[in-house]
Amino acid sequence: MARTGILSLGQSDPKGGSHTRTPLQRFQLPVKFKPIGLVPFFGFVGLFLVWPAISLFRLAIQPTKNSDISAMREAITGDYLDSFIYTIKLSLLTALLGVLLGSLLAASVLRIERPKWFRNFMTSFAGVAANLGGIPLAFAFIAALGTQGLITKMIDYFGVNLSDAGFRISNFAGITIVYLYFQIPLMFLIMVPAFNGLRASWSESAASLGAAPWQYWRYVGLPLLTPALLGGFLLLFSNAFSAYATAYALSSGGARLVPVQIRFFLQGNTITGKDNLGYALAAWMIIIMLITMTGYLFVRRRAEKWQQ
Amino acid sequence: MKFVGKIWPRLYIAIAIVFFAAPLLSMARFAFQRIPVISLGKDNLFKRWTIDGLLTTLRDPEFAHSLSVSLKVAFFTVLVLLFLMVPTTLWVHLSAPRWRGVVETVTILPYVVPPIALVVGVSGTYRSIAPWFLASNYSLVPFYAILAMPFTFRSLDVGIKALDLRTLVDAAKSLGASSGRVMWNVLLPNLRTSLINAAFLTITVVLGEFTIASLLLKRTLPMYMAQAQGSEPQGALGLGLLILVLTTILFTLVSIIRKKDSTNINAKNINSGMVP
Repeated sequence: MARTGILSLGQSDPKGGSHTRTPLQRFQLPVKFKPIGLVPFFGFVGLFLVWPAISLFRLAIQPTKNSDISAMREAITGDYLDSFIYTIKLSLLTALLGVLLGSLLAASVLRIERPKWFRNFMTSFAGVAANLGGIPLAFAFIAALGTQGLITKMIDYFGVNLSDAGFRISNFAGITIVYLYFQIPLMFLIMVPAFNGLRASWSESAASLGAAPWQYWRYVGLPLLTPALLGGFLLLFSNAFSAYATAYALSSGGARLVPVQIRFFLQGNTITGKDNLGYALAAWMIIIMLITMTGYLFVRRRAEKWQQ
Repeated sequence: MKFVGKIWPRLYIAIAIVFFAAPLLSMARFAFQRIPVISLGKDNLFKRWTIDGLLTTLRDPEFAHSLSVSLKVAFFTVLVLLFLMVPTTLWVHLSAPRWRGVVETVTILPYVVPPIALVVGVSGTYRSIAPWFLASNYSLVPFYAILAMPFTFRSLDVGIKALDLRTLVDAAKSLGASSGRVMWNVLLPNLRTSLINAAFLTITVVLGEFTIASLLLKRTLPMYMAQAQGSEPQGALGLGLLILVLTTILFTLVSIIRKKDSTNINAKNINSGMVP
C-alpha cells in the first residue's frame, strides 16, 4: 500500500544524514518507526470517520426490497434524481451569487479607509455570519420573510404580496436568499486576503506603462485572483450542498433537498423497506463532495505553489 | 471618476448591511414584542415590548438540561480534540515531516463527508454492533471532534510553523527537561493563541450543531430550540438571538486574543481557521 511507499521514501531523508545529527537526535526512533506517533490520529479518524463512510458504501450497493438493482442505482432515478438536480442547482446558484456578491463586498469594504474600525468590524461580523447556520438563521429568516414576517409585511405595505407572487421561505428562491446569508460572508473572508495580496506597486507599474484600469484588471488583477475565486466557488458549492439544519428548519422537514430526504429514510422508515436508499443518497453526496473538494485542494495547491 | 469610485462601494455596503441586519432585527421584534405582525402599525410600533418569552424559556427545566448536555459535550470535545491533535501536529513537525501532507489531507476529509452522510454511516455501523455507545449523550463527542478537526489542525499547524520548534525542544532537553516538561512548560505556552482559537471555534461548532444531534435524537441546545419553536416560539427566537450574541462575543474575544499576541508574526494567518 501507499504506506510502505512513503516509508521507503523516508529512509532517504536528507535531514536524517549522520553529519547533521545532534547528540540528542541519536536517541530518536529510526526513520521507519517515525509514523508511530500518528497511530492515535489515524486510528481515531479511521474509527469515527472512515469506517462509517466505508460501511455506508457497503450498505448502499445492496439492493432495496422488491428490487434487483442496487440502491446506489435506484438513488439516481426518478424523484431521487430530481432532488439531486434540485440540490445541485441550488448549490450552484448560491455559490455563484456568493462569489459575485462576496467579492464585490470585499472590494467595497477595502475601498473604505475611514473609519478605521469599520474593516475590523466587517471582518468580525463576516466571521460570525459565515459560521452561522442551522436553527437560529432559519428562525431569523422566518421572522423576516416568512408568511408572517416583518419584511413580508413591509413589502406588502408597498403593494407587493410575496405569497401571491409565489414566494415561500422554504422554496427554491427562499432557500437561496437564506443561504446567501452565510455564503456572502464566507466569500468575503476568502477575498479580503486575496485582494490584500495584490500589491499597490503592480497597479502603479501597469498604470505607468500606460494601462487603463480595466486593462490592469483584465490582464493582471483577475488572473491573480482566479485561484481565490475558483477555490471560493468550490468551497461555497460544497458548503451549500452539505447544509442540512437550515433547510430542515425552514421547511419543517419538507424540503426537496437531498440531505433532508436522507432523514426521511433514516427515521425508521422500515415500512417501505427502502432504508438502503438513505445510505445510497448519502454515498452519492460523498462522491459529489469528493469531486468538489479534490478540485478545491488542487486549486489551493496551485495557488500556494505560485505564492512561493 | 473619483466621485463614482467612492459612491458605489458605500451604496453597495449600505445595501449589504440592510440585508444582514434585517433578519436579525425581525427576529428581535418577533422575540420581544407581543403584537402579531398583521396588526403592527405606526401607532403601536413601540408598545408591548417584553422579554417574558425569553425568561419563560430560560426558566424551563428542559432548557437547563439541554444546555448542560451541550456544555458537557463541548467541554469533552475540546479535551479529546486537543489531546489528539496537539501531539499529532507536534509529532508531524518534529519527527515525521514527510507525513505532514498526508495528515493535512486527512484533516480535510470531514469536509468530504457532510454531517448528514456521517451520521447515516454512523447509525449504519454502530447501531448494530454498539448500541450502548449511541445511547449515550457522549457519543456525540468523537463525531464533533471530527467536525472540528480541519480548523483545529490548521490553527495548530500555523502556530507551530511560527515557532522555531526544533531549537525550542533541543534547548529545553539539553537543559535537562523531560518530554512532559517540554510539552507543558515550553510548547503549550507558546501555542496558547492557536489552542484558544481552536477551542473557541470548536465550542461554537458544538453549541450550534443540529444535524448529528437531531438524527441521533440527542437533546442538545439546538434540538431544544427547534422543538421550542412550536411550543414557545417567542422564547425560542429570543434564545436563538441570545446564542447569536454570545457567539459574536466569543468571536470578538478570539480576535482580541489574536491581536494581543502580536509577537506571533503569523497570528493573523490563524484567521484562516475559519475558512478551510
